[in-house]
Amino acid sequence: MKYAKAWILLLLSWTLTLPAFADLKVATSLSDLASVAEAVGGKHVSVISLCKGYEDPHFVPAKPSLMKAIQDADIFVSVGLELDGGWLPLVIPGSRNPKIQPGSKGFVDASEGISVLDKPVGTVSRAEGDIHPLGNPHYYADPMNLTIVADHLADVFSDLDPANAADYSANAKDFDGRMEKELKKWEKELKPYKGSPVVTYHENFKYFTKRFGLKDFGTVEPKPGIPPSPRYLDETAAAMKEAGVKVVLYQPYYDADTAQQLARKAGATAYLIPNEVGGVDEAKDVFSKFDYIVSTLAKAFGGK
Amino acid sequence: MSRFKLFLFIGALFCVPVLSQAQTRSIISNLANPAIGMSALFLGQAAPNLNQPYGIQFQEAELSVISTVDPYWTLAANLVFAADPTNGVPDIVEAEEAYATTDSIPNIQIKVGQMRTTFGKHGLLHTHAFPFIQAPIIMGNTIGFEGFKDAGLEAAWLTPLPWYCELTGGMYAPVSNDINGQGNHPLDFNSNAHDNIPYLGHLKNLFDLDDNTTMELGASALTGMGDDSLHHQVLGADFTVRNVPLNQSNQRGWILQAEYLKKVSFNSAVYNQETDGWYGSFQYRLSQNWWTGIRGEEAFNATPDLSVDPTENSLTGHVQRATVDVAWLASEFSEMRLDYSLARNDAGTVDNRVMLQFNYVIGFHPPHSY
Repeated sequence: MKYAKAWILLLLSWTLTLPAFADLKVATSLSDLASVAEAVGGKHVSVISLCKGYEDPHFVPAKPSLMKAIQDADIFVSVGLELDGGWLPLVIPGSRNPKIQPGSKGFVDASEGISVLDKPVGTVSRAEGDIHPLGNPHYYADPMNLTIVADHLADVFSDLDPANAADYSANAKDFDGRMEKELKKWEKELKPYKGSPVVTYHENFKYFTKRFGLKDFGTVEPKPGIPPSPRYLDETAAAMKEAGVKVVLYQPYYDADTAQQLARKAGATAYLIPNEVGGVDEAKDVFSKFDYIVSTLAKAFGGK
Repeated sequence: MSRFKLFLFIGALFCVPVLSQAQTRSIISNLANPAIGMSALFLGQAAPNLNQPYGIQFQEAELSVISTVDPYWTLAANLVFAADPTNGVPDIVEAEEAYATTDSIPNIQIKVGQMRTTFGKHGLLHTHAFPFIQAPIIMGNTIGFEGFKDAGLEAAWLTPLPWYCELTGGMYAPVSNDINGQGNHPLDFNSNAHDNIPYLGHLKNLFDLDDNTTMELGASALTGMGDDSLHHQVLGADFTVRNVPLNQSNQRGWILQAEYLKKVSFNSAVYNQETDGWYGSFQYRLSQNWWTGIRGEEAFNATPDLSVDPTENSLTGHVQRATVDVAWLASEFSEMRLDYSLARNDAGTVDNRVMLQFNYVIGFHPPHSY
């Protein structure tokens, strides 16, 4: 009897320490998509992102542990437009999870419904570098594109978990409303700097510059995926000087030395900004990510 | 009025072939064509003790196609065009791989067809993905320089254990030929009796030591019968520690790797340890463009390196070899590599080689496994 009580207590304590089971297990290729999925799914989902925010989404090492992490996922959200095409073709089949294979209900291409920029016209050639044949995949740099993703995810979640469909729909509506409100704040903050030119390391900021009326002056890398030569840096710095470009932007996964070297040569300043949630500690979700980017840019253009 | 009708009639006649042509074109769709890519390798080698001319030679080109077949299967094929090692003439065409896979079964992946089987670590690599220009000597002496390639069926089970633990089982056709059909495959699975199917078992464990570093432990066994009534068996063990800083994943990193392989033949009365050997290598990524590496290896009872030396001048017996490598990647799709290797055997024979390899990829290329 004494032993029976002990066993019951042990079992009870074990049960109480078990994690809460979510209705849907969601995995995403990108941390921004994970942030949106958390907002839309709320208490009904558990979410993981395979790519950390300080990791280059083009070059995620296809570690078998990533395959293991999504072995039991109900939904996989890919950023689409082949941004994750360098590693997802290994990770998704490697998970041995039929629920999230392309073509199944659990595989989501988050780029559906997005107005894609930089779609190549005519023949696609790698003479132009490692270009994305389906267009610029960094659409998550525009806050409003994330509302399209949120609505898409609400539909998918509702389809796979109809019991909580009302919650998913309400959460997506709340997310959209908050994003629209925050966008007005961010637009107001950057309004004085409309038309200001920026140099970015890679062409991953175009959706942001278009949304906020900034000017893309050029990139640190001469072509996508190709590191700059000293000559190219000299030429770009000279052009920046002539045009009065004062701001260079780079992400934690790009070569900070090169970005800073270009900025020094051009008499500009290089700023680290997160393009993805988790890129810096302050960017804990999509809202705080844009807060960080906008305040950094306002300071940069304001000369503070 | 009648002229107008005649004009309309003639005009309509002109339109008929145009419509017909448009309809003919529309019924042949290329929208579901497979992804296609090609890699090409060119090799220059200066080896004083080999009877081969110096200079750049065509090594191989690999044409890859992959596509989903239907909601259940994916089909991939690699067709290799290679130079005949006996005369350097590029007249070899081989269906190196042509296999279908399915991911429709929870936790298990099925692969069927002609494939590079899941044995060890180096044996999984295509030639253009070798970390050094030459494969380790022990590979050629056991399962083949490019691994054990055969027709068969494999099932790979991702176990429910908390870490990545994959168990693979395979069964294949009895083979006797190497990739060039020259009848000297080192495995000698030459029997055609009904019960002589070669079997494979492979266990792969991978642990995340931290966000940037992984440790992999693997064990493999391949066994089958030869026409000498002996069981032929290859056993392997591999160990890899790999570091890829997540915030510099295409700029920095290193790989420490070692593998041991042993080939035996036996029956109830006889046990022959035919050959065994190992290699240990360290590769270091200096930047987005530069890699370097060093490898040491040892092979016991080594047999001639026929794939590079048809004159059988390469070293035999107990052989030790060291290799240094430096590679420059202009982009993700082209690479130039310079290797120097120094080998010697117990008889005191030395083999020096300087090799320069050019590696190009066009079109779609499936990502290389981690």
